[in-house]
Amino acid sequence: MNQKPRFGLYALVTLSVVISFFPIVWLILTSFKNTAGIYAWPPQYWPDPFTLENYISIFTNSPELLRYILNSFIVGVGTTAITLLLGGLSAYALSRLGMRFAGVLMVGILAVSMFPPVSLLPSLFQNFLNFGLLNTYTGLILAHAGLFLPFTVWMLASYFATLPVEIEEAARMDGMGFLRIFLTIVLPLSWPGFVATGLIVFIFSWNEFPLALVLMTQNAMRTAPVGISLYPGEYAFPWETISTATVLAIIPVLVITAIFQKQIVGGLTAGAGK
Amino acid sequence: MNRTMNLEQRTALTGIGFVTPTVIIIALILIYPIIQSVVLSFGQSSIDGSEPYHFVGLQHYAKLMGDSQFWNALGVTFTFTALSIPLELALGIGLALLMNESFKGKGLARLAILFPWALPTALNTLIWRWMYNSDYGLFNAVALQSGLADRPINFLGDTSLAMGSMVVVAVWKTSSFMALIILAGLQSIPKDLFEAGRMDGMTKWQEFRQITLPLLKGPILVALIIRSMDALRTFELPFNLTDGGPVNATESLSLYAYKVIFDFLDFNFGAAVVVVQFLVIFAMSLIYVIALRNKD
Repeated sequence: MNQKPRFGLYALVTLSVVISFFPIVWLILTSFKNTAGIYAWPPQYWPDPFTLENYISIFTNSPELLRYILNSFIVGVGTTAITLLLGGLSAYALSRLGMRFAGVLMVGILAVSMFPPVSLLPSLFQNFLNFGLLNTYTGLILAHAGLFLPFTVWMLASYFATLPVEIEEAARMDGMGFLRIFLTIVLPLSWPGFVATGLIVFIFSWNEFPLALVLMTQNAMRTAPVGISLYPGEYAFPWETISTATVLAIIPVLVITAIFQKQIVGGLTAGAGK
Repeated sequence: MNRTMNLEQRTALTGIGFVTPTVIIIALILIYPIIQSVVLSFGQSSIDGSEPYHFVGLQHYAKLMGDSQFWNALGVTFTFTALSIPLELALGIGLALLMNESFKGKGLARLAILFPWALPTALNTLIWRWMYNSDYGLFNAVALQSGLADRPINFLGDTSLAMGSMVVVAVWKTSSFMALIILAGLQSIPKDLFEAGRMDGMTKWQEFRQITLPLLKGPILVALIIRSMDALRTFELPFNLTDGGPVNATESLSLYAYKVIFDFLDFNFGAAVVVVQFLVIFAMSLIYVIALRNKD
């Protein structure tokens, strides 16, 4: 009697999984086709011949594509480090130190996080130009830190709220300063919160497009999503290169997601639940 | 000096010290640029400062009101949002209900709904553009070979299809995010509520309508807010899929603003566009906040 609904359930689950995965699978298959196979009609569903030539060609002929990925790493790691440090200190102060305007500040931070990034562009471009921050890692890291600090503060504040206050109070009694309490007690206790937040911020930074597009105008400084999107320039789209570079550029986020899926889901839903 | 301060003052000072760097960065990157955009939109100036700023009042806004491309972009943005959000919500609720069941291979299923979220929108859009391709694309191959179509479908080049094609990409990418938030809400519903419902002889559908859905109102609203804000500012999706074409059928407000600012280098007029976009999004978020407040 219980057989039928179970079958329906598995059919629906399978369908969802297939729909979710097929664009990535198609992308990966494309990257293993040779040029003739990519532009064949009818299309090849399976690469014939199966070839690594696109990957070899990227490493030998298109080092700028690897440079984009390196740029994304530098910006992503820098952004994550800064937002965790500064966002962590802020979240701690706002959730633990009984600041007078903590509530107002938290709501204000949430409100500004809804600003459309494109509305920042005319001003940011002009100011970054004037201060020599265009085409610098520092500049884009700063911009991404601004975009993702609100999320970080909210995530970490909600994590700190789950920690018992007693340990910190005992440390206060022993005469420890707040910075030392933060570094030696709060940080070690809340590392799962920091890991989840940090991973999500890294993915956000890796995927961010409008600011990376406008604030990095030199080809060599572009991040992976922007560099690959603009790679073909005015001419025909070289899909063999684009598909392969896209595979390389999404591997980091997909690997992170696969390994840390529990932490990321927990982080996203906790952040949204506020 | 430290000795003369009492504990309360020291705590307050420490708090301010901890918060200040964050506030400065947010002020520089998020708040000041909005103010500067407002100032730019009321004046005329050059990017490099060679032409000093002078006030022109509402001139740019007047031009905007008479600009058919602006109204088109506004319409495209609203249409895109109005089409994609309900679909995402319906699929999101469906996926969440599915993921709330217990079955084998749940880890893989959860990964499958997380992957679309994790993909960079810009690169995901490139993948879809390739699949939509009218000469070599996967979709046309399947449609033609299965006999569903007798000639290639121009998914991105046909004015009546381009918006739908764009909505499909957005729905594929973001339904899973909706599902995650709604799933978290589902899991917080006490199980005995359903047992009580079953005792009363409720059908599955009644259970869903009368127990599940009312209790999911909060998470659903939150998911709607986050996704609507995203949809209203969609940029890289049309940028990479169609570049706003054909004949501006998919040119969102963000893409229009970007083109005004960086293709035509008209920063002052572009600032007026982004200020209007900002106000639209602000108004939408106010409506949602009021709705959220009235939810109980």
